[in-house]
Amino acid sequence: MRRLPVYLLLDTSGSMSGEPIEAVKNGVQVMISSLRQNPQAIETAFISIITFDTTAQQIVPLTDLASFQMVDLKASGVTALGEALKLVSSCMEREVAKTTMEQKGDWKPLVFIMTDGIPTDNWQNGLTEFKKHKTAFTIACAAGNGADTNVLKQITNDVVSLDTADSGSIAKFFLWVTASIGVSSTKVEDSGKEVQGLKELPPPPSELNIVV
Amino acid sequence: MSVITVKSIINDSTYQYVDNGNPKSGTAKNVYFSPDRKYVVAIFKDKQDFNQKERLTKIVTQYYNAIKSKEAGDYYLEEIYRWPTDVIETNGKTGLIVPIYNPKFFFKTGYATSDLIKGEEKNGKWFAGSKFRNRLFPLRLDESELGNWLGYFQICVNLARGVKKMHQMGLSHSDLSYNNVLVDPVTKSACMIDLDGLVVPGLYAAEVIGTADFIAPEVLATKHLGKTDPNRKLPNRLTDLHALACLVYMYLLHRHPLKGGKVHDLDTEKDDLLSMGEKALFIEHPTDFSNRPKMNQISKWDTYWADVVKLPYTLTGPYLKELFDQAFIKGLHNPNERPNADMWEQALLKTTDLMQPCSNPSCEQKWYVFDNTTTPRCPFCGTAHRGTLPVLDLYYEFKPTVWRPENHRLMVYNNQYLFQWHVNRNITRNERLTVAQKEPVGYFTFHNNAWVLVNQKLMGLKDLTEDKMIGINQMVELTNGKKLLLSKEDGGRVVVITMANQ
Repeated sequence: MRRLPVYLLLDTSGSMSGEPIEAVKNGVQVMISSLRQNPQAIETAFISIITFDTTAQQIVPLTDLASFQMVDLKASGVTALGEALKLVSSCMEREVAKTTMEQKGDWKPLVFIMTDGIPTDNWQNGLTEFKKHKTAFTIACAAGNGADTNVLKQITNDVVSLDTADSGSIAKFFLWVTASIGVSSTKVEDSGKEVQGLKELPPPPSELNIVV
Repeated sequence: MSVITVKSIINDSTYQYVDNGNPKSGTAKNVYFSPDRKYVVAIFKDKQDFNQKERLTKIVTQYYNAIKSKEAGDYYLEEIYRWPTDVIETNGKTGLIVPIYNPKFFFKTGYATSDLIKGEEKNGKWFAGSKFRNRLFPLRLDESELGNWLGYFQICVNLARGVKKMHQMGLSHSDLSYNNVLVDPVTKSACMIDLDGLVVPGLYAAEVIGTADFIAPEVLATKHLGKTDPNRKLPNRLTDLHALACLVYMYLLHRHPLKGGKVHDLDTEKDDLLSMGEKALFIEHPTDFSNRPKMNQISKWDTYWADVVKLPYTLTGPYLKELFDQAFIKGLHNPNERPNADMWEQALLKTTDLMQPCSNPSCEQKWYVFDNTTTPRCPFCGTAHRGTLPVLDLYYEFKPTVWRPENHRLMVYNNQYLFQWHVNRNITRNERLTVAQKEPVGYFTFHNNAWVLVNQKLMGLKDLTEDKMIGINQMVELTNGKKLLLSKEDGGRVVVITMANQ
């Protein structure tokens, strides 16, 4: 059966240490358990987590909701966003099944990026790789003042920002990610149509500012 | 938290709901509970126009009354539907008053391994797929939630009756799917919910085309055409019948009848559209094998039920096989050929007369349909039937002294009951039976190494082979070839006994 791949790219650089990284960990946990209450998400959604600090790492490969196990996150180092984009591209290349005449492929992936800082590597190179892949949508979240929404705007049109990277707003962001995955998996199941971009998703919580 | 009072747009009734700022939010409506939790107020997110309000008003008045005042009205309103009872308006928004769901439709346990869905609604989706019943799946439902295979026949009967009644009233559902039904395998019940989208043919057209797994092929194949294009097919009574057939197939076999391995296009969306629409093909088509599920592409948690070789649809018995053929082969692209809801109801009920309990205590399904062979075995766990198996074929008097087969048989098992609808062909097993008609008139039991029928209520039971009346509280032995007259009254039947598995 067709899967709905979901990639979460999470910034684990030094500036995220303390409250923000704890909030991200908690956000992922809450997201998984609430998706586990949705039979449609369980049938279709597969989640992968990629973290980026001084390097980028796929800490959870594309995994179904039932088998998903979170690993610990630690914040340190700088912000290799470019490497993360490159990594997610190669993961999509490898993990997302293409439709062939013999096999039904997966739906186009959903990509969520969350960062609190400015990329410290050559992010344009990563972006070139990333743009080669079609996603159903990519949403970038600038957490707090340190993030540069102009950079994110070049990655995707759908950019949201959190005024502060505190536990409350990060939790809200993950709630919204959860609802978006829920809506997308239901849409795929209910109407055979993929969700495209921010407009079809549930409205973001009040703490999220949509960057236009 | 505040209690808000709202007013009916039809009469002077008022209702109250508790607004805690966090309603249960569906696709189209926000749902609030009344303070006594006896009903909910479901408020549409979008403004409803004049036609929509008129349609809702008709549903809660004219059609509600049509159900209520007819035979089995309470049965339909209590068991089969959560039918809205009133339309309200508040701050320019329209809402519906809907009775609360029966407590049996909330998970008592939910998952086997956690409390995550305990207390949540038993949406029909949980019981249609196969993952949630796989003992190895980490998010499997607890065994106490799953019921047995016989229970799913009653669930399907309820759904067939729900559709039958709507169609009798001239309505069509237009979005029948597992998302719009609540299912409880424990008490063997199913209830149709979200009934505000009903289509009144000729008056109000469907607003949505339905839910993907259940949209009829002709609707998908023409969805690119404009709504006024004469070739455009919108949901109607015949598309409901496609959805009903899919539901029955899914609840009995836990797989989708059209989702197989055939690829029609390299573009995912186009492929989906073709394989459920214009090019839809039954995965178990008897001659065209091209859409058979590819077992190496099936999730490891779905393989048991996905295997159409090990568990072909024919295990649902001869009556349902015929209807599945009609729905998914003949009628798939010829909507007029699809079996109607009444045919499903009768075939499901007749099939329950062919059921045998599996003798393997750890069999997950517990029941199976007699396969008409001399050495029957359970298709689910492979356990062979032990002991002799009496088969009763029903005959009716076509004209004096000429008896014809009914194409209806009753398989006997220990403590199986005989009912009026077996005895007399003028009594149909449906929701209109009286309480008295639902009482057994006799039972079968294995006694002193012989199968016997114990007569509880039959005045005219006669052993024709031995030419002997069998009085009330007397018993008659079932032997190969024996004929019994069940009733002398008009419509009374004769049964002919065959002993299988000798």
